[in-house]
Amino acid sequence: MELAREQIDYCMECGVCTGSCPVSRVLPAFSPRQMIKRVLMDRDETVLEGRELWACLACARCSSRCPARIDFPEFIREYRETARKRGNLPQESHHGALQAIMSLQTRNLSQHRTDWAKEIGRFKTAGDIFFFVGCAPYFDTALKYGPISLEMAGSVLRLLNRMGIEPVVSDDERCCGHDALLSGDRETFHKLAAINLEVIAGAGAKTVLFSCPEGYVTFKTEIPKYFGKLPFEVIHVSQFLARELPGSGLSFRSAENGSGAITYQDPCSLGRKAGIYDPPRDLINMVPGVKFEEMARNRENSVCCGTSAWMECSECSKEMQVERLLEAAGAGASTLITACPKCAIHLSCAEQNTDITLKIKDLYSFLLDRVE
Amino acid sequence: MDVGRHPKIRLLAYSEVEGVEGEMGNFRIRVRKKARYVDENKCTGCGSCAEKCPTVVCDAYNVGLAKRKAIYKYFAQGIPSVYTIDAAHCRNFETGKKCGLCSRICQAGAIDYQQEDRIVELDVGAIILATGYELFDARKVPEYGYGRLPNVVTSLEFERFLSASGPTGGHVYKPSDLAVSEVLATLEKQMRTSSREIERFEKTFEMSSERFIEKFNSGELTGGHYDEWAGQYRSFLPLKEKFKRTKERAESLKTAHRLAFIQCVGSRDSRFNGHCSAFCCMHSIKEAVIAREHDPESEVHIFGMDIRAVGKNFEEYRNRAEGEAGIKFIRSRVAEVTENDSHNPVIWYEDTKARQVRSMEVDMAILAVACEPGPSARRLSELLGVPLNEFGFYATLTVPPLDTFRPGVFACGCAHGPMDIPESVAQASSAAARAASALMGARSKEQGAGSGEQDAESRKQVAGSEDHGAKAKKREAGKGE
Repeated sequence: MELAREQIDYCMECGVCTGSCPVSRVLPAFSPRQMIKRVLMDRDETVLEGRELWACLACARCSSRCPARIDFPEFIREYRETARKRGNLPQESHHGALQAIMSLQTRNLSQHRTDWAKEIGRFKTAGDIFFFVGCAPYFDTALKYGPISLEMAGSVLRLLNRMGIEPVVSDDERCCGHDALLSGDRETFHKLAAINLEVIAGAGAKTVLFSCPEGYVTFKTEIPKYFGKLPFEVIHVSQFLARELPGSGLSFRSAENGSGAITYQDPCSLGRKAGIYDPPRDLINMVPGVKFEEMARNRENSVCCGTSAWMECSECSKEMQVERLLEAAGAGASTLITACPKCAIHLSCAEQNTDITLKIKDLYSFLLDRVE
Repeated sequence: MDVGRHPKIRLLAYSEVEGVEGEMGNFRIRVRKKARYVDENKCTGCGSCAEKCPTVVCDAYNVGLAKRKAIYKYFAQGIPSVYTIDAAHCRNFETGKKCGLCSRICQAGAIDYQQEDRIVELDVGAIILATGYELFDARKVPEYGYGRLPNVVTSLEFERFLSASGPTGGHVYKPSDLAVSEVLATLEKQMRTSSREIERFEKTFEMSSERFIEKFNSGELTGGHYDEWAGQYRSFLPLKEKFKRTKERAESLKTAHRLAFIQCVGSRDSRFNGHCSAFCCMHSIKEAVIAREHDPESEVHIFGMDIRAVGKNFEEYRNRAEGEAGIKFIRSRVAEVTENDSHNPVIWYEDTKARQVRSMEVDMAILAVACEPGPSARRLSELLGVPLNEFGFYATLTVPPLDTFRPGVFACGCAHGPMDIPESVAQASSAAARAASALMGARSKEQGAGSGEQDAESRKQVAGSEDHGAKAKKREAGKGE
């Protein structure tokens, strides 16, 4: 916890973090400022033993605005590591099924990770471009929301194929370890990352494409912290497509009339954590006839989809999600597009129990549906 | 004013330093005196040229809230009090059209379209850098919505709102309301064009539009002209409705009653400027008090981590603002500003005393933007070989504090670091004294060596202030003996 202690010494107790926190607005007892203050006053125990340690979404709304540049999500991550060792554990969603899947992948096992891909597209086992699919093949099996994340991965593969690109998709790929790291399980993260680096090296890839923003930031910023500079380029699919699509010869059909406006949900990992705001918007606007409307809180000010790392899903999450859906509807949108499978899953889940009729779509399926 | 009238001070306004050679006691400075296209010696500053000038330009001095002409004075009290043609906008220069109105109107015959930039060489003994500062661009803080939300303004913009000679005559109107009057004018124009068209149809077919549209809808009348008429009339109706609504809004314009001052925008923020801008606490309190004087009904809140009232009577002023003027201070740095349906800013903050996240709807949010090094600081620092400090202001010695790292070159005011007016004035006198004492030394050395050249004897100061890049004003004072 040395790093966390050192960083928070600069805290001015200004309240920007708590004022910005979407969780604090719903759960007044949760306050990043007061957690930092308690640690500064040598009352670490209250933080390590409390439940609120697990309520943080690591959405980086606080840290991106902090005038002292305190990385609150990193502070939380370090304290979670200690809390976990002391037996203070998070409330895992879906009965911990997803955490079990993650830790299973640290072992030597044979996976059928590419079955979905065989049905819909072409891919290789070795080559320059590696498409890191992430947990999509598991999400749809473990959850009850239908083919949300595989539709996204499938659309990426088909778009790449249409552009004449046959990427590597591997059976041996593992979970990126993002959720393990965030929930204080560095050991699992470490094991997963080591296997993934080996798999990518084995395929001889020079560029690794990520469709999931969390996988992207994990490889872009987290893994290099522990493993040093990576021997390949890490690029998000939205960046890649925004760069390559215009010259690829592919063109788009006009968005049908009467389909209403489209809005875009910035995933926290892609937006605030990676600064990728424009490529997804550029891609949406490549489709002729699109009526694009921003939600009131967008880009840097965007709000999290309510849950992270498959834990602590609560009334608070639901309230945030419904508020966000209403914000999209209030902007006049009939379709909400996101570039993150988790945003799509969480928002679809919340919508089921409301009378909001917003179409929730991932960026790549939206594009694929309109390719001529 | 005193400087402008002083017989021994030569003022080179609207000029830029281009080169500096030599050393303390004997600098040679190349100054580009930019063409004003107005003879400074003839212009009396009467202003009849600006009155007649047909070209309207956005007024930078009023931070874009008002208009000026293509021949203008940056601000009323500017020294020297002469007019300048803005060649980027003047018809004569921009489009090559023959206008020449100002030249005909000017009784002093001061207009000279052929004027060119002039290079002036100066021999001076010491240089004082007084190039001022620049305000932080609040667009860089996305959470406060400046530039996106119409009723979020900067402190300088608000200052112009409060000013009796400002663009709103001292009334604090919400910018979103001010925009309404412009919309109204556009709508009125559209209405006039549209109704003229409709009248033409009515005359030709000798029928009122109401009756026509009934017949048209029932299918009685169809074809070329009728379709056109129907189209025109159908677009006229919503226009009329919109005009009516906009007019009602424009007539019910109210001044802003609920004001929120947001401190430390871009300063004490390691993302932008780590330093404290020193003057914002006091100017926010001042603006808040004046706003309450204008409108005793108004509710004024100042949001900040603390109030830095450093100086004689400053703390007392802050307490008076709270006790007598009824300004409310909230100990919090604002987290974000959103907007509600009526374009009112909503301030989101944690009241750190109550430990609660709150939101407050206001009519206007005023950002206390940071003091940053002026745009010319970097250029001049390279030109003069004077390094900048980590904040981008001229680096100076610890003692004596106004000396830069080049002997004979001094810095004062906000070129030295953020400070308020009294402190800047004190530093200016101090810098002048430092320059004088440096020259005394240089002069006695020269006299001792027996080379009493008159140039070296002249004491000159070059100082400048480049406000907002819009105007380069260089003051150069030459004192020949």
